Amino acid sequence: VLQTLASTVNRVSSSVDRGNGLNCLTHALTLHAGGSYFYFGVNERWDFYNCFLQGFHFWSTRFDPTAAHYMFQDDPFLMPRNAANSRLFALSKESGRNAAKYIIKQFPQYFDKTFAEPNVPCLMPETLTPQVEGVSEEALKERIHLRRVKDSVDLFDQLIQAGTPVSLETTNSLLDLLCFYGDEESTTEKAGEEKEDLEEPGVNASEKATPKRQLERGSQSSGSRWRENNNAERIFKIMPERNAHSYCTMIRGMVKHGASAKAYDMYIDLLNERHKADVHTFNALITAVPSLKDRFLERWELAKVFLNHMAQQEVQPNLLTFNALLKTLRRCGGVGRSMSLLVIKEMEALDIEPSLATYDHLIFIFYRGVDLCSSGIISEVLDDVEKRSFTPQDPDDANFFATAMQACCDLKDIKLAYRLNKAMEKGDNWKFLDMDRLNAYWSKFFSLLCMMEQIDVVLKWYKEMSSSLFYPTPKNILDLLQALDAANHLEVIPSVWEDMKQLGFNRRQELLEEILSLMSREQHPEEIQLAFAKCAEDIKAVHEQTGREQAPLEWTGSALGHVALLFSRVGRTQDAWYVNMMEQFQQINRIPTDQVMDEFLNCAKQTNCPDEAIKLVKLAASLGLPSSQRLKSRMEKEFELSEKQK
Amino acid sequence: TPLSPQTRAARVRVGKGDKPVTYEKAHAPHYIAHRKGWLSQHTGNLAGEPGAAERALEDAFLRRFLYGTFPGILADEVVLKRRANLLVICAVLVRGLAPAKLYFLVGYAETLLAHFYKCPVRLELQTVPTKVVYKYL
Repeated sequence: VLQTLASTVNRVSSSVDRGNGLNCLTHALTLHAGGSYFYFGVNERWDFYNCFLQGFHFWSTRFDPTAAHYMFQDDPFLMPRNAANSRLFALSKESGRNAAKYIIKQFPQYFDKTFAEPNVPCLMPETLTPQVEGVSEEALKERIHLRRVKDSVDLFDQLIQAGTPVSLETTNSLLDLLCFYGDEESTTEKAGEEKEDLEEPGVNASEKATPKRQLERGSQSSGSRWRENNNAERIFKIMPERNAHSYCTMIRGMVKHGASAKAYDMYIDLLNERHKADVHTFNALITAVPSLKDRFLERWELAKVFLNHMAQQEVQPNLLTFNALLKTLRRCGGVGRSMSLLVIKEMEALDIEPSLATYDHLIFIFYRGVDLCSSGIISEVLDDVEKRSFTPQDPDDANFFATAMQACCDLKDIKLAYRLNKAMEKGDNWKFLDMDRLNAYWSKFFSLLCMMEQIDVVLKWYKEMSSSLFYPTPKNILDLLQALDAANHLEVIPSVWEDMKQLGFNRRQELLEEILSLMSREQHPEEIQLAFAKCAEDIKAVHEQTGREQAPLEWTGSALGHVALLFSRVGRTQDAWYVNMMEQFQQINRIPTDQVMDEFLNCAKQTNCPDEAIKLVKLAASLGLPSSQRLKSRMEKEFELSEKQK
Repeated sequence: TPLSPQTRAARVRVGKGDKPVTYEKAHAPHYIAHRKGWLSQHTGNLAGEPGAAERALEDAFLRRFLYGTFPGILADEVVLKRRANLLVICAVLVRGLAPAKLYFLVGYAETLLAHFYKCPVRLELQTVPTKVVYKYL
């Protein structure tokens, strides 16, 4: 009964809560249980709690909240503490594996004894040397099979020069090889380059996102640029006869490596020769449309032209066709919004099951624009996604959850986010999130939680998720601090500061400013004040750290003032004076605020140090502050001064 | 039978008192099963089971390999456990290298040994701040 109740609550609430205000509404529910109807009055707070419980249940069954990811060793020294470290460790382990594979490849003679019964083929060194020698078509076929691009091209040239005819299929498979690898060597060198590029952005990405490096990495990973008159084109030109397959692979290769205009010309040639293209070629052409035309409407028209040709040549479209279409529509702005729903209808008419990439494109088209329309589409998408477990069918499937969570954050809808979490739990769907995407996904979810949920819920999620499932980003910590502020729970701040130190954020200016201003805003009870003072001491230590690896952090005026305030409130006169006198005045020439002066006087009064108070007044006088008169009079009133001191 | 006083196997001789010695090293082999456990656990030595000599040879190779792969940071002897096909290598390391470098070595060792011995190999590490000294001899 509770299950049905929960599901009806969800359905009703998601259809009713357009404006999600925080005043208590009462929904009327009809609950159909065993044939009888009865009404329930539920208030919104219970509703929230229920969603939270459901959300909680999901993740405790799937992930272990007490440990880091299982790929890391279970040791406090070897456990990653923040996102950058986890990526670094994962990548270094992977590069260790690659080093071992390199050694195995270099010295296969030590690893090829088959003494295991039965033999384990995946642990044997790979035999990548071609067996067939000599200049013949068999040798060429073998080199193509082993993916040795350069060798096969050389062998092909030798065969042509010797005059032996090479059959059409072999030439076609050679063309396939060349177009797939873009006329560069496959495997080792390319993999080496890619890994280098991956290592460096991994370390630097958290510090500064340089778009140039991202672009470089993008172009390298998607294959190199298509050079003028490279081997593929040359071989294509000297082929005595070409069939549809030859044209098709050339088109697909050109699109893959960025030569879209040439691909289009090749397609016109294909039509002139009255060949028929296959479905993969059409998919490639549709993906190339945004680089062929600039205006939205023209892009859509060109895509329609391709679709019409497909219909004329009686080529059946598949899932990837529609995904390519939607991908093109992503870059078509307003036209995309109106046309994408028609595309979906067409898919349903042809009985093709949409994959996650389809939904990803849809959500992107509707929710990444400037004006966010109603949340109708995303609810329907979630309805579909929740129902089934997906298998990967398109490389873009992996982006779905990240895009969907981003859309939930933009719409500020926490219930949608819970539904999305549930959808991710179902079946195999969690496999679509790898380590980076997992971190991004959960950190967006946490930001949404901080904005929308009650503080105890937020804290509970934070404690459980924080080192096992994802590593909080600086933005997450800021959101958490603001949520604590909104809920008046500032006593949790010292533990947040501990986490910040562990995550390596203790040198971030904006976080330090935020935490100091929150701590020093009001007077708090004694123990909390002591804890705050300890944090202030840590922060002071961070600013003064000399030598070693990092330059000491620069003090800002407000930070100094806050630290002085915190020290004064606890009665640590020496520290407060030190902060005041040394740093503020001498080093950065800042003037302490009146509040700081007053607090300092209070502190001096409490701890009975009239000398300190005198020093303060002298300082104020020397700085020529307008408040120095007031301070002097206050001091004379409140302190009992000996004659000398007067 | 009581031990002969001339035995010298696996014993650290008493010296001036400045030589730090781990628990493993400090105990002589007659303490195995009394105060010490076994460093290598496999079923080759049970009645009727084959392969004891091969396991011993593999152990010798593995210990040398790991001594070289983790230069200077092995805190104690490595414990090898074999469960069915799986070889679990339990090592205690001193925190001499950065964690990223340790992970590199872990990935390297696991893959290389797996390809060498044609069985899955898992490396389980524990780190300690310094070598754990039992007494000074």
